[in-house]
Amino acid sequence: MKTFSLIIVLLFGSLLVYCTLDFPSWGDPTAPASLHVSPRYIEQTLDETSVPNIVTAVLADYRSYDTMFETIVIFTAGVACIILLRTYQRKKQLGGMYRHVPTGITLRFKEDVQLPKDSKEFEHIDLEWVPYDIIIKTACRLIVPFSQIFALYVIAHGHHSPGGGFQGGVILGASVILFAISHNLRATLGRISERAVALLCGLGVFMYAGTGLICMIFGANFLDYSALAHLLPLSPVAARSFGILIIEIGVGIAVMAVMIQLYYNLASAGKHDEGL
Amino acid sequence: MNILAAILLIGGLIFFAGGAIGILRFPDFYSRLHPAGKLDTAGQFMMMAAVALFVLQDLSWQSFLTAAKIILIVIFVFITSPTATHAIVDAGVRAGLKPWTKAERL
Repeated sequence: MKTFSLIIVLLFGSLLVYCTLDFPSWGDPTAPASLHVSPRYIEQTLDETSVPNIVTAVLADYRSYDTMFETIVIFTAGVACIILLRTYQRKKQLGGMYRHVPTGITLRFKEDVQLPKDSKEFEHIDLEWVPYDIIIKTACRLIVPFSQIFALYVIAHGHHSPGGGFQGGVILGASVILFAISHNLRATLGRISERAVALLCGLGVFMYAGTGLICMIFGANFLDYSALAHLLPLSPVAARSFGILIIEIGVGIAVMAVMIQLYYNLASAGKHDEGL
Repeated sequence: MNILAAILLIGGLIFFAGGAIGILRFPDFYSRLHPAGKLDTAGQFMMMAAVALFVLQDLSWQSFLTAAKIILIVIFVFITSPTATHAIVDAGVRAGLKPWTKAERL
């Protein structure tokens, strides 16, 4: 069986290598890929959209249908994760583990307890003993704001340099996940609740599709941002650049929210009570 | 300036080479983390300092900004890399991995 599969792999490998010989050579100006629409993009992008980064212009303006459905694919992944993993418990969990912060003593209650409400000395911790690690917490507190600022820069600077909504959204989501790893899931849920994350998932996609709808209302094609010039004090060319920014923000929000959603569900096996 | 940058680059390379050999050669998990930490801090610092010096050859506002960004990279790696090493060691201790001692040598 092993030799048989080896033969198949070798056969297909050599077939693929043989096929690559038919490819046009690297950077060939007469290759089919550089004959059809590429010259038009390269020559006209700056005049038509005032975006220096041609890749962003193609991605978010000329081919924005494609990017919109990419965003919807990510949204669907988040929804599928909720459907598959999320479990709702009727019964509220009793008791639990608490840490008395000043002394570091861990207490375990078998029944429901009433701790002094305004006291900040008790900390609800997970059953699998979340370590009390001040070094990691402090370092992550230092890093998270900077990575968030960098994420916003990546989203906003997609017009001029590599970057954009997908990359920036992933960095934003990673910063929240970093906070969740260094603290715990409960602390993170207290800052960004499950409901807020689910709303943001939809909001990102809605911003994208809504921009397209606004363009339709003003009589242009779906996602033809030059129609935004009716709404804003901008020339049609600048409006296209601005429209790209709006949808990049939408993509960023959607990607960030889906990343956090996936983490919440995977870290706690869908229960959203305990986890990293 | 060029010579200084070259010297720093070579120093960084020595650290990287030593770290790579160390990761392969040291006997156990904890001692392997020691060269791994050196790579990210000392080696990276020397490399980045060399690059910053090279950029600063023509003194202008632009090159100064580039050098400042390179220094920022160094600062962030200096915060994150030791924290990561600490977290990994911590996890190893919690999981019950015993440090290597000479008696265990075969």
